[in-house]
Amino acid sequence: MKKILIVDDEQDIVESLKFVLEAADFICYCAYNGEDGLKLAKDIMPDLIILDVMMPKINGYKISRLLKYDNKYKNIPILMITARSQEEDKLIGEETGADEYITKPFDLEDVVKTVKKYLG
Amino acid sequence: MGKILFVSNRLEKIQQYAGIFDKKPYEFFTASDENSALETVDINNPDIIIFDSDFNNLKHLLKNLKSMTTSTSFILLVKDEKIEYDITKYINVFLTDEMSETLISSIISANLKTKHSLEQLSDTNKNLADSLYRLNVLYSTSSQFAGSLDKEKLVDYMIEGLDKSLSFDLTCTLAFCTEKEPVLLLNSLYEISDELLSALKLRTVLNYKSLFEDKNPPFEIDIDTLKIVKTVKYPANRFTFTLFQYDNMFAPISLGDNFFGCIEIFKETPFTSDDATCFQTIAQQVSLPLKSATLYQEIKETNLKLEKLERLKSEFISIVSHELRTPLTAIKNSLDILSGGKCGEINDSGQKFLSMAQRNVQRLAGIINDLLDLSKIEAGKMDYHFANMDIHSVIDYVKSSLSVVAKEKGLNLISEETPDLPEIYADSQRLEQVLTNLVSNAIKFTPEGKTIIIRSHLADASQLNAPNCFKNDINKLSGKYIVVGVEDQGIGIAEKDLLRAFDKFAQIENSLSRKVGGSGLGLPIAKQLLQAHNGAIWCDSELNKGSRFYFAIPVSTVGAEAEKNLILN
Repeated sequence: MKKILIVDDEQDIVESLKFVLEAADFICYCAYNGEDGLKLAKDIMPDLIILDVMMPKINGYKISRLLKYDNKYKNIPILMITARSQEEDKLIGEETGADEYITKPFDLEDVVKTVKKYLG
Repeated sequence: MGKILFVSNRLEKIQQYAGIFDKKPYEFFTASDENSALETVDINNPDIIIFDSDFNNLKHLLKNLKSMTTSTSFILLVKDEKIEYDITKYINVFLTDEMSETLISSIISANLKTKHSLEQLSDTNKNLADSLYRLNVLYSTSSQFAGSLDKEKLVDYMIEGLDKSLSFDLTCTLAFCTEKEPVLLLNSLYEISDELLSALKLRTVLNYKSLFEDKNPPFEIDIDTLKIVKTVKYPANRFTFTLFQYDNMFAPISLGDNFFGCIEIFKETPFTSDDATCFQTIAQQVSLPLKSATLYQEIKETNLKLEKLERLKSEFISIVSHELRTPLTAIKNSLDILSGGKCGEINDSGQKFLSMAQRNVQRLAGIINDLLDLSKIEAGKMDYHFANMDIHSVIDYVKSSLSVVAKEKGLNLISEETPDLPEIYADSQRLEQVLTNLVSNAIKFTPEGKTIIIRSHLADASQLNAPNCFKNDINKLSGKYIVVGVEDQGIGIAEKDLLRAFDKFAQIENSLSRKVGGSGLGLPIAKQLLQAHNGAIWCDSELNKGSRFYFAIPVSTVGAEAEKNLILN
């Protein structure tokens, strides 16, 4: 079974993503801040990461950059969740390497479909 | 009136000339040797000197006298025609022994007249030169005034201008414009003692108060804490209290109700009426730029406030965007999981309410997106990706994405397009947004069983036809346009409300938009997006019969130019 890491400081959103992804037969690992997320990513080597942009400690863009510039992790697909906020707009000019962007509020079915596109 | 010196050793001639000139209107002096001649000139400064050509060592005397006098007329009395050439160069007029007394008298009189005229002319010239200098000072001072919006500098320019044109000994300027508290600027030739300074302070404050008589002065002044800025040209010398015996002038610096201060100036020699005019002119001239500088400062402060407000607005929008979307996502996800039956069966009634909740979540998401779009457009931060494109692809996309919704509502969504339309230079995503909004509106407002048609055609700006309220927008257009229309058979819009449909404030209030959902910001956003494309949007409607919304995008010239360049290359 494929492993998915969900990193978001919003527990409710993590919960709902975990629910639908587990129902679709994926194993989900969860982290609630950037620091834990990055650590967990290196520990468990997930097959895909769902990453929120605005998070305490290390933001999603930074995690994405750190992983995508590391040969060991660069092939892990990253789905970035964005709220299209202005702070994000300021950051978005930078190269993050994320594979997909999902705008809040997203459709859970779409997320599952996108995940399956990479792990199908 | 004229002073005449006669220099001669010939007694008979001295007597003859005394007979003619030793009476009014003349003052007559004689000298029979060089020393007495020099002495008389030194003391009496004669207008005319008549030299006898017989006089001993005449050339030497002439040379000496020439260096002493500048405007005295030299006349030579000639005995015979033998005159040394060297002497003639000092002489203005010649007389001869044979001349009659009448002739001599008229020659001298004419000479005096000429001399007086010349003196007057020279005085006038001097006055003119003074006036010209003063005008130059006024001109350069007003140029300086015009070139500055800094109040402190303006006051400095005023004092500098006064110094140049009036050469004052001291100025006391009470200025209310440089800082929040008033400042007393003292520009002095010599050092001012503490006692004199106190006296000047008191005098200036009294002068200031006298300007307002019964009324309250615009600013309260505490004489003990009044700030002083002193500039002294020659600190080695000191002014004494005799300063108050000097001539002085005083003027307020104000424009209408705006009061900027007052100025008093002191000078040892009396001021002329020209000085007074010059002083008043400069004091008045500085008021207008001071007023402009005040306004400029106010505008600058207002701008700072506006910038702060703009920042707050951006932060607010950011919060709206992020903080609302996140909980909304959690709600939406939970509803989706529930309605998908993933937590167990939901009965029909439960499903109805779940759908209601889902619809409203969707609506809220739409409102947030619209608010964000509008704020981005207004801040000029909307990203556009312009490219040459085909309008058919936009129509096809919108038609296919909304046909399901139309069908669900029992509506017929069709398109009637003109084939082979030229390309437009546009952002396809933004045009899809505009058309999606127009078609969604049509779907919302059209009852079951009716038809919605999307049309496209090529038109010249002059052929575009719109209700009067949109004429201004249409008249701005020129050249060829692709026009896309969305026609419905819905409830329509009253003519008086046509323009309001594009007004963001009016729509938020609109109860209809509340009933059918949506933020009501779709059309205002569409209007702004079309403006960014140098296009236009308008509508035409009949109540209860239907509405026709149109937008026009200019035909691309980019492609044609690129093609031309390719051929040239």
